[in-house]
Amino acid sequence: MSDKNEDAKAAAANQKGVIQTDRPKEIEHFGGPIGLDIGTTNIVSARARGASIQITKQLNAFFTVPASKITGMTLLKNDVLYFSQNGSYYIIGNAADTFANTFNTDTRRPVESGLLSAKEDEALNVIQSIIKTLVPPPKNQGELVCYSIPGEPIDTKISVLHHDTILKRTLQDMGYTAIAINEGFAVIMSELAEESYTGIGISMGGGMCNVCFSYLSVPVFSYSIQKGGDYVDTMVGAAVGESATRIKLIKEKELNLLKEPKNKIETSLSIYYEDLLESLILSIQRVITTSESVPRLSKPISVVLSGGTAMPAGVREKFEKLLKANRLPLQFSSVRMAEDPLNTTAKGALQLAIAEEK
Amino acid sequence: MAVPILVFSVDKTRGSLLLKIIENGGFKAKLFDNSHELEYAVRRRRPSIIVFDTKHYQSREFKIITSLHSRFHDAEIILFADPAEIPSFTSAGIKKDCCFSDPINPDDVTLKIREIHFIKNKAFLRIKTYFVFLAGLFAGTRDNPYIMFMKKIIMAAAVASAIAAGIAGGFIFYNMSDLPKVQMLESYVPFESSFLYTSDGVELAEFYLERRKFVSFYKIPKHVKDAFIAVEDAHFYEHHGIDFFRTSAAFINNIRAGNAVQGGSTITQQLAKMLFLTPEKSISRKIKEAAISMQIESRYKKDEILAFYLNQAYFGARSYGIEAAAQTYFGKKTEDLSVAEAAMLAALPKAPSVYSPFKDPKKAFTRRNLALKSMLDRGFIDTEVYAASIRKPVPEYIYRRKYAAPYFVEYIRNIMEQKFGDRLYTAGFKIYTTLDLNLQRKAERAVTNGAAALARAGMPGVEAALIAVDLNTGAIRAMAGGTNYHKSQFNRATQAMRQTGSVFKPIVYLTAFKNGYSPDDTIDDMAVSYLSKDGSEKWTPHNYTNKFYGRVTLRTALSRSLNAATVALANSIGMDKVIATARSIGVTSNIYPHLPSAIGVSEMTLIELTYAYTTFANGKRFEPMGYEKITDRYNIHVEDNAPKGVQAIDPANVSKMRDVLSAVVTEGTSIAAKSLNRPVFGKTGTTDSYKDAWFIGFDDNLTVGVWVGRDENRPIGEGMSGSHAALPIWINFMKEE
Repeated sequence: MSDKNEDAKAAAANQKGVIQTDRPKEIEHFGGPIGLDIGTTNIVSARARGASIQITKQLNAFFTVPASKITGMTLLKNDVLYFSQNGSYYIIGNAADTFANTFNTDTRRPVESGLLSAKEDEALNVIQSIIKTLVPPPKNQGELVCYSIPGEPIDTKISVLHHDTILKRTLQDMGYTAIAINEGFAVIMSELAEESYTGIGISMGGGMCNVCFSYLSVPVFSYSIQKGGDYVDTMVGAAVGESATRIKLIKEKELNLLKEPKNKIETSLSIYYEDLLESLILSIQRVITTSESVPRLSKPISVVLSGGTAMPAGVREKFEKLLKANRLPLQFSSVRMAEDPLNTTAKGALQLAIAEEK
Repeated sequence: MAVPILVFSVDKTRGSLLLKIIENGGFKAKLFDNSHELEYAVRRRRPSIIVFDTKHYQSREFKIITSLHSRFHDAEIILFADPAEIPSFTSAGIKKDCCFSDPINPDDVTLKIREIHFIKNKAFLRIKTYFVFLAGLFAGTRDNPYIMFMKKIIMAAAVASAIAAGIAGGFIFYNMSDLPKVQMLESYVPFESSFLYTSDGVELAEFYLERRKFVSFYKIPKHVKDAFIAVEDAHFYEHHGIDFFRTSAAFINNIRAGNAVQGGSTITQQLAKMLFLTPEKSISRKIKEAAISMQIESRYKKDEILAFYLNQAYFGARSYGIEAAAQTYFGKKTEDLSVAEAAMLAALPKAPSVYSPFKDPKKAFTRRNLALKSMLDRGFIDTEVYAASIRKPVPEYIYRRKYAAPYFVEYIRNIMEQKFGDRLYTAGFKIYTTLDLNLQRKAERAVTNGAAALARAGMPGVEAALIAVDLNTGAIRAMAGGTNYHKSQFNRATQAMRQTGSVFKPIVYLTAFKNGYSPDDTIDDMAVSYLSKDGSEKWTPHNYTNKFYGRVTLRTALSRSLNAATVALANSIGMDKVIATARSIGVTSNIYPHLPSAIGVSEMTLIELTYAYTTFANGKRFEPMGYEKITDRYNIHVEDNAPKGVQAIDPANVSKMRDVLSAVVTEGTSIAAKSLNRPVFGKTGTTDSYKDAWFIGFDDNLTVGVWVGRDENRPIGEGMSGSHAALPIWINFMKEE
């Protein structure tokens, strides 16, 4: 690729506000339905490739640097995804994290607590740009893409409608037929095929936790609580005087809730994890007991946990213990972790897309 | 899936859930979330099942449901509604078991759909259904499409069977609870006739309600028992009360014939029915009958049971038990019955009136021969006996014994009935009377001949009565209450109250003797007028000869039966004393306390006057005594009736009475009695216009009273005084003594 051409591309991108870099070559050759998990932390796409599933993901974050010709050239040379807007370069995806670490600060997020962030003016542009890095234009008009949306939050008055509609339009504008899937239900679609898609799927993400109860693949109820990994990080950070980013790092690499806490960070993490899990179970209890649709089941059902926030050791056990301690009108046979917790939602979305396509 | 299922719910989640539940059960269904689409769908194709979820359905009137229900009667509507609303749906015709409330129970929904499908789609007719069910059972598949339903069916069948068994058990238990105690058979006392015997033990009569005489088993000949076994219960010695084979065969034959042509009851069952149960035809009775039969079988030997049966069975013509039947139909005892006769009797208990030889000889003959054939078939008789027996005629009339002394029998029956009530006819008493059969026959002959003689002399229709009393014991030895008992059962010896005429006079003379008179004392026989107490009437007694004899001895006055002298005597001693004397010698009838009573205007019976004369004979007063002893059916004494004479006249006066009564015969009105050539004593009596003629007298053994007259109280005939009408009968009887 010549410099002249690259300049031209960058100029065009600046005008249109779109990605200024090449996408990975292999993505272009994939065809068929796509599953897309648009989470607070990551956006993950899943595509069927023969018998296996190809997962591609980008950090759902951005980092802005003042726009300058030299910076632009540097970013291009290093295949950094960015776009230019209002005199700034918006570095998006995985690269944003690198830049943030370089500058010893935090990335910014287009999605906050699971929904498009109202605080970020360019949230839409950022998320559209990231999606486009993962979802190539369809080979044929109307190909299916199934994207995840959170359940309606039960602890705030915020609606997911805006978030859902924006994403749907983005994908439709790209030439796809876009169908939404609740994040929790996506977990069920991914993990509970052998149980006739009957059970509870919980996706514990950064911004929120999504819960869905399905009976024979019918989502009987789904909702979200706006507490997730970010909540734990922020609260622990505030409690111990550390940055949330550092807390997140410790949480993901070292935390084991089955062991006695070694320090005040682990102690605090344990406290807030417990708070998160209790909030989750109380919400399940509340929804089940007030739902008009929950059937009376003669068999116990499974609970599947997924998402990054569910990954630290001991989360499943803590959850199971708390679940047993609370009386619920359903019987549970097991609480298990999803096979691939970080990609479960995308895989579930892909399953639905494939099913719909059939 | 041939049954179209439509699901309606405005709640998308619930609708999808219901749809999925139905689809998961192996059915296809279609979901609607608005009523217009539903209406459109049902118009296109008649639904079989509509699953209607009322949750969030805005119009709470649910007109659509009632409309669907009324339009599609064949369709089942499965409803999800608030519990409070369900009654309004059930009252609108929705089945209660098709109404469900939250939470949705997938098992209930699937089960109900399957149930409806099972019926509507006639799945129960397909063998596949059962294979699937069995396969599921073996494989242990829990969600087999039919397993739940079949489980329900099996459970329902099990519950129904248990309930049926419970009800049947309860019914049997209930019926058993008032089961009579078979031990009662040990004290079994059937109704048995009472018998009357003469003083020397000849059977006089039988009193019965059910004519029955108990006969012991050993006295019943084998061929008689065989006849009953052949006809009634061929397996009698093999079964235990109930012959299941015979019962089943009878049941089948009766069904084929359309009515009860064959009985399945064994002899034991029939006995149970006869002894303990009513003849009603009911299941309850049959259960009790079977239970009692088994109890009887467990307690008694077969021979005992057969004996009970033969003594209890009814054979028609008021004959109960084989002995009475043998007597009624053949005039024989059971032990004397022939094979043909036994077969005839064995043929009767099934339907005594139908097979009665007296009613339908042909039918009886056929039935009897069938019984003989059964005996032949079972080897009880050989062909020779069979051939001889089937030619024997059946009886043509009821054998009735003509008993002697019917008036006396009736007289005793009245006494016994007062003593024992209805037990007389059921308790099997043996009553030994005082009757002397020879004397009785003489009495009957004398009376009959006497009346016949009067009839020959131009006085037909005259009745006569005679009673003979043993003057030493007071026992009645003969009694003829009339000339023909079958013509008139009125007993003139004991029941007829007649004016006594001169036979009363000896009581006046006895009163005189008791008051110091002697037979040789004299009284005036002259015309004397007596005024009634108020002086308004005047009465002058006349003699039979219309003459007065002046001063006469008492002996003469009585022997000539002088009225004027007797009244004068009574007047002199007082009628009150005369009446007292009469009472002292056993006269109980009302005696008018006026002088005419002295010459017999008061009415009395022959028996009381005869007993009064018995007292004249030996001074002892006896009560009439018709029987000597009574025993029960087991010959145990119930009563001994020993003579109880009470001295009523002192010997001196007895002599005086014998003196004067002898004179009546030797020199008075009864001189004809001299022909007896032995000392006899007595007195004639004649009432006004010869309406009654009496003679009562005695010899050394008997006091015999004779009365002659007409029942309608008309004159016997001109000149028919006691000496002309009654005395000849008396003499005839005494002659033959």
